[in-house]
Amino acid sequence: MIDTQLLISGVLFGLSLGSIFFLMAIGLSLCFGLMRIISLDQLLYYSIGAYITYSISVVTGNLWLGAIGGMAAGAIAGLAAERLVYLRIYERDITFTMITSFGILIGGVGVIKYFWGLVPRPVEVPIDVQINVLGTQIPVYRLIIVAVAVLVYIGIRTFLNRTIIGKAMRAGIENVEHVEGLGINVYRLFTIAFAIAAGLSGLAGGLYAPLIMVDPQMGLDVLAFVFMVVIIGGLGSIKGTLISSFLVGQVVSLGSLIYAPLAQMAPFAIMLLILLVRPTGLFGSPLLKR
Amino acid sequence: MACKDWRQKVQKQSFRRVIEMRISTGNSAMNVLRWWWGLLLAFAMLALVRVFLPLPFANEIILFSIYAMGCNFLLGRVGFISFGQPAYLAVGAYGAGFYLFYFGTNAYVGILFGIVAGIIVSLAVGALFVRLRSDYFALVNLALAVIIYYLMQKVLANITHGDNGLWFLTTIASSPVLDLSRPDQFFIFAFLVAFAIWAFYKYIDDSIFGACCLATKINEDKLTFLGYSNYSIRLVAFVIANTTAALAGAMYAVYLGFVSPEITSAAHAPEPVVVTILGGAGTLYGPIVGSLAYIGMKDLISKVVGNWELIIGFGLVFIMLAGERGICGTLAPLLRKAFSRVAAPTAATGVGGKTR
Repeated sequence: MIDTQLLISGVLFGLSLGSIFFLMAIGLSLCFGLMRIISLDQLLYYSIGAYITYSISVVTGNLWLGAIGGMAAGAIAGLAAERLVYLRIYERDITFTMITSFGILIGGVGVIKYFWGLVPRPVEVPIDVQINVLGTQIPVYRLIIVAVAVLVYIGIRTFLNRTIIGKAMRAGIENVEHVEGLGINVYRLFTIAFAIAAGLSGLAGGLYAPLIMVDPQMGLDVLAFVFMVVIIGGLGSIKGTLISSFLVGQVVSLGSLIYAPLAQMAPFAIMLLILLVRPTGLFGSPLLKR
Repeated sequence: MACKDWRQKVQKQSFRRVIEMRISTGNSAMNVLRWWWGLLLAFAMLALVRVFLPLPFANEIILFSIYAMGCNFLLGRVGFISFGQPAYLAVGAYGAGFYLFYFGTNAYVGILFGIVAGIIVSLAVGALFVRLRSDYFALVNLALAVIIYYLMQKVLANITHGDNGLWFLTTIASSPVLDLSRPDQFFIFAFLVAFAIWAFYKYIDDSIFGACCLATKINEDKLTFLGYSNYSIRLVAFVIANTTAALAGAMYAVYLGFVSPEITSAAHAPEPVVVTILGGAGTLYGPIVGSLAYIGMKDLISKVVGNWELIIGFGLVFIMLAGERGICGTLAPLLRKAFSRVAAPTAATGVGGKTR
């Protein structure tokens, strides 16, 4: 039997991991739901966010400033990619956008290597305070990550449910032609959604930077997990993404407590099981792509 | 299944493509020649590659084009885009690798083991995957590639020696007919295999099964209506394509003399798809042209600049924006036009006196 201390820290580790997955996967999910593209370059904005965070926190010594900077840099990079590349290929097949976005990802990794080099960079943890929960020492920083993810979820939900742009986006996920028929410029919506997605990926990179080493391939390391989160939750569903990201986070964390190699294999097994029952994930729409 | 019946039905249902295929495959010598000339042309080109370019490069190209052929079939004929081809490549490579490292020394048997492993794995995985929608299919396959990477790197580290990989270059015995442990003879073997696979895919294209594959891509409801199962057609196509990838993997393992998890890392995941698109998906020469262009480009760029990812990545985006028909698809009409322009004046001069 695993003792409670290990279990509590494991659960917390899973929660913070799930939060990072959520911040990243929501971008992929939003892009798919609204624009029907699979944007692998979210992983690039994740690494860009982490690197900008590293640079700013080295210069100013403040990680929070860095994370905000990383978010902004991710959003700007996403905006540029959207205006330059995606605007031309929205009409094309979905897998086509997937390859193009992989090109952007690989090219962007090249740019990062050019500026920052190959050496992994450490980022200092801003708060090393630990609090005591049920006799277990818990690092506050991980709790803050979870809080940020929850705030982002609430923010996204309010944005989608309360504001007019958000409502237009939700309508766009249902049916883009109708939204266009109402006189709304959908391409403007696409740009906004892409920038939000890229910004959230940048934020995820910035927040996760202190817990890992920042290196050019870091995007490819989380790739599999983010994919599994998106597949389990169902492409295009934000609620599904939230649930599945915490599920995968817990499975990775608790699985590694039981038997280390399980951490990587268990989410995959779960994904296969869920796909066996529901081929479109937990909350994915059964509709074929339009 | 009532084959003849079905054929009539399909023709009635006016799958243009099917009819064209039926017409184009006759028995006369002319048609046989037409069937083969493209094949001979493509492989004459590869033979030229062997003469003019260094051997390792030629070997790499021919192996990669075998690898890309499976993906080309999957993408161009069945309409599945798979980012998980490295997974099947690795299955084949490790199938051959395990045999050569632990059990035997015969390279041919090793390749056979790789193929069998490929069939088993792609049957098991395909039964689940082919039910999925194309977007999920692409994502799930990529996840599979990463999982196999972890499996080989960490979980089975006792057997696979983790990142160090399995080395068996020196233990491969020289085989009787074509000595696979020598690169120049390996090239001939790879050449023959590529030729056979190419002919096989060409044969499939002209068969009823090939027409079915194309039909599942274009209109699956109609195929269901005709009494065929989309699922089993896709499954068989999936197994064929991924077994080709596994074969390429096994040949890589024999050629390089080692396997490491690096073969299935996510960074290489889209390479076969890129090569296929580069060459033109669905065109039969696509894989060869594509791998020639891609490997050549990568080789040249990585020699000149260290930072090849930058150029490959943005070059890929550029290619995607420039045209989705790929090199072969774009060049073919241009070449035809050029040829007709060359042919036209000669014709004009020949008949010129009378017409003018």
